Amino acid sequence: MKWRKLGKIFDFDSSNFAGEFIGFAQSPQALEFESYIRFYFSTRVRTENGKFVSVIQYIDMDKSFSEILGRSNGVVVSLGALGTFDEHGIFPFSVFRHNGEIWGYSNGWNRRKSVSVDTAIGLAISGDEGRSFIKVGDGPVLGPSLYEPYLVCDPFVRVFNETFHMWYIYGTGWKSKAPGLEPDRTYVIAHAVSKDGINWAKEGRSIIHQTHPEECQALPTVIKLGSRYHMLFCHRNTFDFRSDPSKAYRLGYAWSDDLINWIRDDSNAGIDVTPGSWDSDMMCYPHLFQCDGKTYLAYNGNEFGRYGFGVAELEMED
Amino acid sequence: MSKVFWSWKKLGRLFNPLDIPSRPIWMHEYAQAPATLVFKDFVRVYFSCRPPRDHNGQFVSYSAFVDLDRKDLFKVINLSKQPVFELGKLGTFDEFGTYPMSVIRVGKEIWAYYAGWTRCESVPFNVAIGFGRSLDDGVSFLKIGDGPLLEYSPDEPFTMSGPKIRFFNGRYYLFYIAGDKWVLKDGKPEISHKIRMATSSDGISWVKHHKTLIPDNWGENESQASPDVFYANGKYHMFFCGWVPHNFRETKVRKIGYAWSTDLENWVRDDSKAGIDISAEGFDDEMVAYPHVFELDNKIYMLYLGNQVGRFGFGLAELEGELR
Repeated sequence: MKWRKLGKIFDFDSSNFAGEFIGFAQSPQALEFESYIRFYFSTRVRTENGKFVSVIQYIDMDKSFSEILGRSNGVVVSLGALGTFDEHGIFPFSVFRHNGEIWGYSNGWNRRKSVSVDTAIGLAISGDEGRSFIKVGDGPVLGPSLYEPYLVCDPFVRVFNETFHMWYIYGTGWKSKAPGLEPDRTYVIAHAVSKDGINWAKEGRSIIHQTHPEECQALPTVIKLGSRYHMLFCHRNTFDFRSDPSKAYRLGYAWSDDLINWIRDDSNAGIDVTPGSWDSDMMCYPHLFQCDGKTYLAYNGNEFGRYGFGVAELEMED
Repeated sequence: MSKVFWSWKKLGRLFNPLDIPSRPIWMHEYAQAPATLVFKDFVRVYFSCRPPRDHNGQFVSYSAFVDLDRKDLFKVINLSKQPVFELGKLGTFDEFGTYPMSVIRVGKEIWAYYAGWTRCESVPFNVAIGFGRSLDDGVSFLKIGDGPLLEYSPDEPFTMSGPKIRFFNGRYYLFYIAGDKWVLKDGKPEISHKIRMATSSDGISWVKHHKTLIPDNWGENESQASPDVFYANGKYHMFFCGWVPHNFRETKVRKIGYAWSTDLENWVRDDSKAGIDISAEGFDDEMVAYPHVFELDNKIYMLYLGNQVGRFGFGLAELEGELR
């Protein structure tokens, strides 16, 4: 693949979200309308105890990504009730049209004592063109299981061949770099299928080769071009990923012709950091989408999307 | 009032860890949620116990067993030397407790279903149901994975607990409880959970029934636990316990309830038939809770917890009359 960067198309600090929210426009997820393109993203508010929670908002842009035409007003997806899996944030949120509705798969966050968080994946459905979503229940549609014990999150859902496919990640370990330090998590990409989008069967394996045991793989996104499925994801090291740019998120790439076997080939991702730019140290939370027949990639740059998100256009596929 | 066919005659407290001075520190007190497994010469009773509170003032819970002489159940002949399960790894669902557990023989193995406990920030805990197998007659159980066996779902969002495994008509049945909501009482979250069911052909892959089996009877946000199902005389008899969550720490309100079914799916609640209540004095003068019914040598017995949810052990009662 080869991508041409169009730059940071949404700058949080100069937007009218600044002030109302305290920063971040993470994990942009596109939904095409007739005359505009909508990007859902996660931004943050501070709660009474001084901690952050992620909430979903959106902007509507013209199809050249140069002008913001509208934005969300109010709550798009409510956070969960006391004790639920999505009580302390939703990030990311994977949306697509299905049977006249818009379905959104949420990654819900809840805080723990011995480790910082756990996560699970919920479903919410919109009947008002995506302005607001109603959850199918208080609990998740995909969560921990025997061999995927925690941190089931980062859903990306699409229907291919009349089957719902979910790519997501699960945790493989919590460990501290040194005794006394807070534990960090390691996670890998997995896959589940469903006939109805609610009852899921996990494939039960890690589907993308790990380059080393401390590699974390996150937020897979899949698009079909011709007869081939292309996946972008982000990956980082388990430790020091905040302080050392060489261990921070980069984009990885894999392809498949059957949705089962994936060949990892990061050298073909066709995009990398740009020194001196908003994405000089980090690229993360990729999202592949099409708009007016062209293929695009939305993603976050430095500091996990604190300052906004950008878009790149596909110039060619191999 | 419905007709009375049976009642439970209390035979006394059967086991109290505090009676055993040489018990290990992890069995300091509590003997909760008894579940039986009958051997040739003894009856093994699994229960959950606790070491003293940790430096944060919190408990962890271990599961253990005591072997009782089959000819005289009041005679202890053996006590587990180690917890039957290890606690889970960092970040797993059962990092802070395995309580309660329920066992069943499967060929030469013994399979156990247990509730694992983790600690949360906004609420005190979350619970999920795990699984382990024993190849040494139930002395120790190995988990087959680090995660839970039964998964949360949109209608069972948290605190899935209290599993009871049964095998009826060629199918495995798991009766358990799932959280309905956390209720704030004086600013403190208290859990309300309800009795649920799942079925399986192999004991590993489960299909949820997706229904609450037993309607409320004791009050708003009633919490139900310990759904113990026993087959007799053409009916399935369920003894369970319950309380109203805002009194969770006030132990006096826990009660034993009863429901029956002919098809395991539709249940008729009739607490007036439970046939057991608190005693005027003794270790169970504030509560009777967590019933477990079993058959031994042509008699039917109930094990149950006394005050402070089994902090001072469990008692034995014998059926008088007929479950019908």
